[in-house]
Amino acid sequence: MGSVKHLHLADIGDEDVEPTAVIAAAGEGDLAAFEALYRRFAPRLYGLCLRLTGQREAAEDCVQESFVAAWRGLGRFEKRSRFSTWLQRIAIRTVISRRRGLRNAHEVGEPAAGLPDRPDPGGGAPPLDLERAIAALPEGARDVLVLVGIYGYSHAEAASALGVAEGTCKAQLHRARALLSAALGLEGS
Amino acid sequence: MKDDTPASLDEELAKLAREISPPRDLWPGVVRGIVREPRHTPPLASAPWMAYAASVAALCLAAALIWVMVYGRPPLSASGPATAANPAVIGAVPLPPGVRPEPSPGVGASFGEPSDAHYLAARAELERTFNQRLKQLDPATRAKIEADLVSIRQARDDIAKALAAQPDSPVLEQLLASALHDEFDLYDDVVRTTQPNART
Repeated sequence: MGSVKHLHLADIGDEDVEPTAVIAAAGEGDLAAFEALYRRFAPRLYGLCLRLTGQREAAEDCVQESFVAAWRGLGRFEKRSRFSTWLQRIAIRTVISRRRGLRNAHEVGEPAAGLPDRPDPGGGAPPLDLERAIAALPEGARDVLVLVGIYGYSHAEAASALGVAEGTCKAQLHRARALLSAALGLEGS
Repeated sequence: MKDDTPASLDEELAKLAREISPPRDLWPGVVRGIVREPRHTPPLASAPWMAYAASVAALCLAAALIWVMVYGRPPLSASGPATAANPAVIGAVPLPPGVRPEPSPGVGASFGEPSDAHYLAARAELERTFNQRLKQLDPATRAKIEADLVSIRQARDDIAKALAAQPDSPVLEQLLASALHDEFDLYDDVVRTTQPNART
């Protein structure tokens, strides 16, 4: 049994630099290292899940489930993508899976029911009207807009993550933008 | 793709923060999930002949541990059931000479690990059996089991530290109990599935 390093948040360092040592330690079972990864990436995952689900409690559940799944799957992380990208794909799958489960149970929640009441203190002042308009979009359009419009996915990446065709992805983005423009009263809608 | 969306919408989208701090700390829930569902351990080699021995051993092991934790002494009297009284099968040992069975302070009142001699003796024997049996496994399986054990123990230690800081937290008590159970389950899996054929 190898020695287990104990790495902490300070070891994560610059957010643009992949924390490979911390990831490796977590992969070997170091829970403290994994907590450091959680502290670093939870806000990004929560933002993604909140926008995909439109509900605070659902987003919290998805973030927790995603990190548990990541812990179990860390041994299979092959470093072909960035850790944050890998983590986000897990989160997207978790949201979609949860959505299917809720649909089966007829418990789909109201969109926009859990957005923050006030701007995130660490993230400047997000325009909440836009956030609520995004949350009110139909699921398919919202998913693509969030991934492509906010998180910078390419259409191919978004289509792969969501399990849809790339053409569907492009059409949904066009639809989302049109709906948003109309909802916000922007020109060209 | 033709896009007649006004630039202002893209600008508004670009202003949105990608990161939003969760309104509460979600880490305890992550730990709970990790403790409840530790990393997958590959199934150990199994054979039909092992099924009966494994179920008997598991039953005896569980019974012995529960007995020790509740009553403070293992069921090892000469008149007791033969299977339950067999230390080699159940991984429990008789009390050391001169040690009197006494009620276990703290056991039952807390999910924390008991500290009485009976429990510690039974646990030490279980760990000894586990370590012996672990050596019989192939290196890859052994490495994975050891990694799982490190995960569980690390979680257990972290939760214990947190519990020391917040001794009244029922959530942490439950988490610690889950971690202890997971550790025993892992020992139990290895001991059961490597049970020698000669015992049956």
